[in-house]
Amino acid sequence: MVGIMKNNKICVLFFLHVLLAVYSLSGICGKLAATFEVMSFGFILCYAGLLFIYGIYALCWQQIIKRLSLTVAFANKAITVVWGIIWGYLFFDEAITLQKLIGAVMVMTGIVIYAATGDDLKENKGGTAQ
Amino acid sequence: MTKRFLVYASLMIFGTFISSVAQVMLKKAAMKEYSSHVREYFNPTVIIAYIIFFGASFLGVLAYKVVPLSMGAILEATSYIYVTVFGATIFKETITKKRIIALVIILAGIVIYALG
Repeated sequence: MVGIMKNNKICVLFFLHVLLAVYSLSGICGKLAATFEVMSFGFILCYAGLLFIYGIYALCWQQIIKRLSLTVAFANKAITVVWGIIWGYLFFDEAITLQKLIGAVMVMTGIVIYAATGDDLKENKGGTAQ
Repeated sequence: MTKRFLVYASLMIFGTFISSVAQVMLKKAAMKEYSSHVREYFNPTVIIAYIIFFGASFLGVLAYKVVPLSMGAILEATSYIYVTVFGATIFKETITKKRIIALVIILAGIVIYALG
């Protein structure tokens, strides 16, 4: 992955979104784990899946923020809200209502504004904020 | 919205809060100089931070017993509030007006989503 990514911005952005989509799958693992009794075999299996995805995410995120400003990376993270709604609808029969969509758009807008007001100078000096 | 839902949603919000605390610990650890690469990862602060992350993920799964999957990422957005407060108090970062506006929009979005 590191080799392919190089410094091509569009390529990095593409990988970021692949990573965020993979990361969103951890939610499916978590929600599935919750359908089992705590510490049962099914629970542990799903929970292990979730932790595995977290591990991959942490490793890849570190590589991505080396090649992309934190502001851009964090603003794009808002997409996980969309993935949550899609997976919830597809796999767990969760209803999508107009009011929920409005709320979700507001949360995402807030995240993008928050990221966009990031102090880049401070970010470069301090390394990673999150 | 039932009382049961609020209890489980609070569990998830608490998990997000302790994750933010762990993030602060990782940042603190990253600002120090270490004698070796191994020490960079295997020191008390970093290890405790990862234990907290583990605990937070467990709380998240427990919360999913009641909280819908689609609400997970929405509730996780509360992390921006904690990060702002920690940034200002611990790392002396300035809180800009735009950031406060962003936080208000996020919070309002969470409430509207939860009531929808």
